[in-house]
Amino acid sequence: MEIKAIGCEPLQLKRVHLENSHTLKVYQENGGYASLRKALGMTRDEIINEVKASALRGRGGAGFPTGMKWSFVPKDSPKQKYVVCNADESEPGTFKDRYLMERDPHALIEGMLIAAFALGSETGYIYTRGEYKYLIDIMDKALDEARSAGFLGKNILGSDFSHEIYTHTGAGAYICGEETALLSSLEGYRGHPRMKPPFPAIEGLYASPTVVNNVETLTAVPQIIEMGGETWRNLGTEKSGGTKLWSVSGHVKKPGVYELPMGYDDMEKFILEDCGGMLRDDKKLKAVIPGGSSVYIMNAEQIIGKKVLLDYEGLVVGGSMVGSGGFIVMDETVDIMESTKNLTEFYKHESCGWCTPCREGTDWLLKIFNRVASGGGQPEDAQLLLDICDNIEGKSFCPLGDAAAWPIQSAVKRFPEDFKKYLLRQDVAPVEAEAQKF
Amino acid sequence: MATEEQIKVTINGQEFSVDKGARLIDVCRENAFNIPSFCYYEDLALQASCRMCLVRIEKMPKLQTSCTITCTDGMIVTTQSEEIEKAQRAMLEFLLANHPLDCPVCDRGGECELQEMVMDWGDVEERFIEPKNAQPEKFLSPIVANDPQRCILCKRCTRVCDEWMGEDAIEAGNRGVNTVIGTYGGWLGCSECGNCIEVCPTGTLLDGTYRHETRPWELEQTVSTDPYSSDGMQFSLGARGGKIHRIVARDRYVDGLNGEFLDVKSRFGHGFINHEDRLKTPLIRYTKGGKLIPTTWDEAIYFVANKFKENGNNIGVIATARLTNESIFTLKRFATEVANSDNYAVSDAYDLAPVFDNLSVSLCTHKEIRRAKTILLIGGEPEEEQTFTGKQIRQAVRNDGAKFIVIHDTAIRMTEQATQFIHINKNSFDAFALGFADRTDETILKKIGAAQSEFDDLLRTIGETEGDFVIMLGRDLSPEAQAVIANAAANFASEKRRVLLHLLPLYNNSVGANDMTAGRKSLREVLQNSKSLLIGGSLYEDDAKLLANKDFVVVQELFETATTEYADVVLPAASFAEVDGTYTNNTGFVQRVRQAIEPLNQARADWAITSMIAREMGVDFGYNFAATAVFKALADTIPAYAGLRYPHLKDESKPAKVKHAIAEKRDLSNVINGLRRRVESMPDEGGKNIVKPKTGHKLFRLTTMTEKTPQFHLLAHGNPKPDNLLVSPLVQFNLDGTPRTDTLAQAAAATGIGDKIEDKENVLHKIIPK
Amino acid sequence: MSTAAVPTDYTNRVLYSEEAASFSPEVLAEMDAHIAKYPPDRKRSALIPLLLLVVQRERGYIDNAGVNFLAQKLELEVTDVWETATFYSMFNMRPVGRHHIQICKTLSCRVMGEPQITEHICNRLGIHVGETTPDERFTVSLVECLGSCGTAPMMQIGFDYHEDLTPEKVDKLLDSLE
Ligand SMILES: Cc1cc2nc3c(=O)[nH]c(=O)nc-3n(C[C@H](O)[C@H](O)[C@H](O)COP(=O)(O)O)c2cc1C
Ligand code: SF4
Ligand code: FES
Repeated sequence: MEIKAIGCEPLQLKRVHLENSHTLKVYQENGGYASLRKALGMTRDEIINEVKASALRGRGGAGFPTGMKWSFVPKDSPKQKYVVCNADESEPGTFKDRYLMERDPHALIEGMLIAAFALGSETGYIYTRGEYKYLIDIMDKALDEARSAGFLGKNILGSDFSHEIYTHTGAGAYICGEETALLSSLEGYRGHPRMKPPFPAIEGLYASPTVVNNVETLTAVPQIIEMGGETWRNLGTEKSGGTKLWSVSGHVKKPGVYELPMGYDDMEKFILEDCGGMLRDDKKLKAVIPGGSSVYIMNAEQIIGKKVLLDYEGLVVGGSMVGSGGFIVMDETVDIMESTKNLTEFYKHESCGWCTPCREGTDWLLKIFNRVASGGGQPEDAQLLLDICDNIEGKSFCPLGDAAAWPIQSAVKRFPEDFKKYLLRQDVAPVEAEAQKF
Repeated sequence: MATEEQIKVTINGQEFSVDKGARLIDVCRENAFNIPSFCYYEDLALQASCRMCLVRIEKMPKLQTSCTITCTDGMIVTTQSEEIEKAQRAMLEFLLANHPLDCPVCDRGGECELQEMVMDWGDVEERFIEPKNAQPEKFLSPIVANDPQRCILCKRCTRVCDEWMGEDAIEAGNRGVNTVIGTYGGWLGCSECGNCIEVCPTGTLLDGTYRHETRPWELEQTVSTDPYSSDGMQFSLGARGGKIHRIVARDRYVDGLNGEFLDVKSRFGHGFINHEDRLKTPLIRYTKGGKLIPTTWDEAIYFVANKFKENGNNIGVIATARLTNESIFTLKRFATEVANSDNYAVSDAYDLAPVFDNLSVSLCTHKEIRRAKTILLIGGEPEEEQTFTGKQIRQAVRNDGAKFIVIHDTAIRMTEQATQFIHINKNSFDAFALGFADRTDETILKKIGAAQSEFDDLLRTIGETEGDFVIMLGRDLSPEAQAVIANAAANFASEKRRVLLHLLPLYNNSVGANDMTAGRKSLREVLQNSKSLLIGGSLYEDDAKLLANKDFVVVQELFETATTEYADVVLPAASFAEVDGTYTNNTGFVQRVRQAIEPLNQARADWAITSMIAREMGVDFGYNFAATAVFKALADTIPAYAGLRYPHLKDESKPAKVKHAIAEKRDLSNVINGLRRRVESMPDEGGKNIVKPKTGHKLFRLTTMTEKTPQFHLLAHGNPKPDNLLVSPLVQFNLDGTPRTDTLAQAAAATGIGDKIEDKENVLHKIIPK
Repeated sequence: MSTAAVPTDYTNRVLYSEEAASFSPEVLAEMDAHIAKYPPDRKRSALIPLLLLVVQRERGYIDNAGVNFLAQKLELEVTDVWETATFYSMFNMRPVGRHHIQICKTLSCRVMGEPQITEHICNRLGIHVGETTPDERFTVSLVECLGSCGTAPMMQIGFDYHEDLTPEKVDKLLDSLE
C-alpha cells in the first residue's frame, strides 16, 4: 500500500514515514506543537479568521467550511463547550484517518487543542469507531505523552488555557459518523441522528455548544496556523483550499492514501498513472466511485479524456462528489448490478431505522436486488428501483437515505447494460418470473 | 395567548396571522389544511421520523417536515401538490411494505390510523411483491400484547413511557429494519398503565384483557369518568350486548382533561362491571347469624322501611366516596329528611374538611400543574394514587423545567424527578407543617430530621418562582397539618406568583362526597351513635367490624363484601357504567358519569334505592327517577354547585368547575398550639423510611373491584415472566402467580396456543389422550 | 371497599435474572477510569466503552449478568442498556467462539476477492457464516467496511486487523490461533 503525496509537498503526510512518527519526540523534532504555541499568542478571532482564510472545508464528507462552522459557536454562552473529533471513518472506501492517527497522532491532538483554544473549550473527545481499537490505544499513549509534556491539562504551556482530551469508542455503526448521531452515541444512546436545528454548534454534546470535525480537518489546522491561511489556501483552489487525502482501493496496482493538492488536474491520470494503473493490465477501467460509497458512481466515459478536476467543484462537474475522498476503482470484470447490490446491503445494514423511507426503502431495495440477482428480474424493476430511490432521496431524516439512493440511481442510469442483463433475462421464462411475484 | 407577537404565514396562497413560535403542522391543521402524520404527538418530544407531514416551503431546498418547523414571518408554504402527494403515498407504501395486511384479525382494524391514512392518502395498488419480514405475536405482560410486525416505529409508545410515566420500560431495540419495540428480557415490569397501547396508531401494542373480543365498530362508545382515582380521568366505555369490553381514552371519542392518558386501574380494572359475582337480587337476612335470602325489590324495600320505622330516630347513614354525587346527596337527604338526624358520615380515610374549611387559595387544575413553575408535594404518592397528577408533574419538570420539591418520609419513586427532596423522619408531617406554615426552630428541625438549610433552599425556590406555585397535600397529613397549610398557602403569593392548592384524595369522588355532606360527623361517631344504619357501599374492614352489634344494617353494594356480612338487608346497586351521574374530581371539576349499559341483573342506581326506601317511609324526594332531577335538586341545595345542570357538563373539553369558596381567614393558633404540643411529644430520632416503594404497590393492590380482572392477580403477585411469551400468562400461571401444571398449560407453553395451530393440535393430542 | 390479602413482595423490574456479574478490583478500576472521562451526571456516556472494552472482553459476550451490573453501575434501567447495546453491531448478545473472525464484505473487499476468502475459511472450519465451530474456537461473521479497503481483502479477528489476505495467509493465521 502506498502512502505518499503527489503534485505537492507532503503536508498531512509530512511525518508518516519517519521512524517512531507517533512519538512526541519525533513530532516535536519535526515542528510539532509550534503551531499551538503560536496559536496561544493569537486571539480567538484571529485563529478563526486564519481558518476562514484557508478555505478549509470539512474532510468528513459534507465539505462544510470549517472556519464558518467554528464561528457559529456562541462566544458568550456560559455552558461548557466541546470539541469532538470524528474518527468514526466508516464510509466504504475510506481509510485515510486511520493512517493519520496511527502515524501522526500528535498532529490530531495539536489540531484539537488549537480548535479548543479558539472556541474556549475545556474538554474534547475523540470518537473512534470500535473496530479501530488499536488506534485508541495509540491515541491514549499519545495523549499521556502530551499531558506529561504540559501540552494537555491545566494551564497549557503556562497559559491560562486548560483543555483535556479523552478517547471514546463506538461499537459498529456507520451512522455514528454523522455528527449528530455521533453525539447521541457519545452520550451512550442509540446512534440516531438528531434534528437540526439546533445545530451542534449551538446545542451539541450534553446540549452544549459543540464542534464536530473530521480527523483530517483537524490535522490541517496546525499547518494553517503555521503557514497562514492564505498560503495554505493557495496550495489548492480558490474555493477548496489546501491539500487533501484520497484513499484509493480496488483494481489499481498501487492502492493507498494519496495527498493531492485540491484541484489536482486529472482524475484519469491519477488512477491510471499515479496509482500504478489497472491491477490487471488486460482489464479495462469500468467504473470509479470517487468519494466513498455515498456518491454517484462514474463510468469510464466520464473519466477518460475528460480531465476531471479533483476538488469539490470539479467532481460535481465530472458527475459525482468529493465525499470522503474514497476512490473505489473497478475494472471490467465487475458486474455493476452486483456491486450496487453490495452497497445496498451496506445501507440496509447501516440504516439506523429512525425514519420510514430509509428504513423500509433500503430493505425493499435489497429485496428487489436479491430477487433480480437470483433470476427473478423484470423489465419494470429498473423503473421501480429508480422510483423507490426518488421516494427516499430528499425525504429521509438524515443524509444516509440520500446516500443509499445515489449509488443506485447513478448505477442504473450509467450502467444500463449491467441491469438489462438481469432484467431481460432470456433464460428465465416469463411465466416463472411472474410466479416469483407471489 | 393574545399578547404574543403575531406573524404572517402564507399557506396554499392564503395569508394567516399566527403566534410567533407556532408550529407549522398545528397552524395548518387549525386552518383546515389536513396534514397526515404518525409520529407527531402534542407535548411529546419531536421525532420527525415518519416523514408523513412533508410540505414545501419556499426558499428551502427539500420538502420539510411540518412537525419540526417553527413558523417565521413571511413563510410561504404549500401543503398540497403533486410532489407532496407523491411523497406521502411513498411513505405509506414504505410503511405497508413490511406491514402484514391482516386487518380482518387485528384488534385495531377499523380504528387503525395506518388504515385510515392509507385510505385517505395512499396508493391503491401495491408494488411490494417481496416476502414480508415476519415476527410472531407475543405478550409483553399479562396486560400488554404485542404484534411487532404491525409496528411503524412512530415511537409514541416509548416516548409516553419515558415522558409521561418516567419509566423507560419500553424502548426500541436492534437497528434499521430490524428495529423492534420491546424491553430487556421481553417482559414489562412497569406500572402497566397501558398508555403505550393507547397511543399506538396501529395494532402493534394491544390490550391483553380485550384481545380478539370484538371489532371496534361493534362497540357502543360512552364517555364517562374513572371510578378509581380522584384525578377524574375521562374515558370511553366500549360496550356490546350489555357488556363492557374495554376502556380507552382515544381522542376520537373523548376529549377529556387527561387526553389519552389512563392508568392500569382505569383502563383495565373494569372486569368487575360484568362480573358473575355481582349481586343478582335484593337479599334479606331474616335472623341474625342466618343466611342472606334472595327476595324481590318490593319485599326488600317494604322490609327495610318497616324496620327503620320501628327503630325510630337512631338511624345512621354512611356513604362511601366512590358513589356519584347524586347518590351521596340522596343518602344525606335520607339522613336529614327521613331519619331527621345529622347522623351521617363519609367513609374515606382522608377527610377533606380541614382543607376546605381553611382554603386560602383556589384549587389547581391539571392544566395548571402542567404549566406550573414550582410544585411542592407534601406526602402522598401521586405515581400510585393520582397517576394523572403524577404525569402532569413529570411533564412540567421535564418539558418546561419546573422545580419539583418533595417532602416525604419515604423515598417515593417520584423523588427521581424531584429537584429537591427533603427526606423527613417517619410520620413527622405535623412537624413539617408547623415549620412550613408557622416557623422552624431547633425542636422542629430535630423532629423532622432536616437541616435549616433545606428549609432555606425550599423557601428560596418558592421565593424565586414567577408564575404558578402549586402545593400538593397528600393523605399522610393529619387534619391539623392540612388545616394550617391550607390556611397559610395564601401567604406565599406575590404579585408575580400565584399560589394554588392541589389535593390528593383517595377516591374518585372524595371531593364530591365532601361537598355533598356539609355538616357531617366522623365515621366513628356515626358508627357509635346509631342502632341501625343505611350504608351506600362498603366500609374498611376494621370499621365494618363495628357493625356487629347493630340492630339493623342495610347495605347498597355491587358485591358481597366484608361489610355485607353484617348486613340484614343487601340491596344490589348499579355500577358506574350502568348509571347517569357525576363525580367531582380533585381539581373541583364536576364530571359526567354516563350510562353505557343497562343495569345488570336487578341492580339499581344507589340514589334510586335510597329514594325508594324514603318513599316507602313517606318522604318523596321528587326525583321522578331521573338523574337529572337529582342533580338539579343537588345544585339548588349546595351553593358551590348552584346553577349547574347536566347540559353544562356535556362537553368534556369545557369542564365545569365547582365554586369552592375561599374560606374566611380563621385564627388557627389553637390548632397550631395543639400541633406544637403533639410535635414536642414526638421522639427525636424518628428515622426515615429508606426503602423505595415498588412500582405498583398500590396500583396493583387487589380490591373488591380490581380483583375481578384476572390479570391484576398476576400483577399483584409479582408479575412473573412466563416461559413462553407467545402464550397468555393466564394460561401459564395460577392467579397467585405460581406456575400452572395442568395439561392445557403444558400444551400452551410447549407450542404457543393461538399462534401455531397445527402444532397445538399435535401436542394437545399427545398430552391429552383423545 | 375491602382489601383482599396483598402479597408484600413486588418486583420492581422483571429480568431474566436479577443477578449481577462481579468483577475484579482491577477491572472495576478500569471501569471507573472510563466513567471518569465524562461529567458526573453523564455517566451514561461510558456505556458503550464499558460494554465493548470491558464487559464483552471479560464475559465473552453481553450477557444478562453483565447487563444487570452495568445498569446498576451507571444508574440505568436494564432496558436502557439493552436499547443501546442492540443498536451496535460489535456487541455480541449471544456467545461467540474464542476467536471471532469478521470478514469485511463491503465493495472494495468484495471486488478484491472476499468471496474466495470467506469460502476458504468456511470450508476449512466446516461451518457457515454466522456459525461457531463445535469446539467453540471460531465464529465466522461477515461485516461491513472496516476501513481497510486499500489492503483488501481483509478481516478482523477480535480487535486485530489482518490485511491483504490470501488463502495461504489465512491458513497460517488460523493455525497459529488456539
Ligand atoms: C451517514 C453519514 C456518515 C458520515 N460518516 C462520517 C465519518 O465516518 N467520518 C467523518 O468524519 N464524517 C462523517 N460524516 C460527516 C459528518 O456528519 C460531519 O459532516 C463531519 O464529521 C463534520 O466534520 P468536517 O466538517 O470536519 O468534515 C458522515 C455523514 C453522514 C451523513
Ligand atoms: S435516513 Fe433515517 S433511517 Fe436512515 S440513517 Fe438517517 S435517520 Fe436513520
Ligand atoms: S409527523 Fe412530522 S415526521 Fe412524523
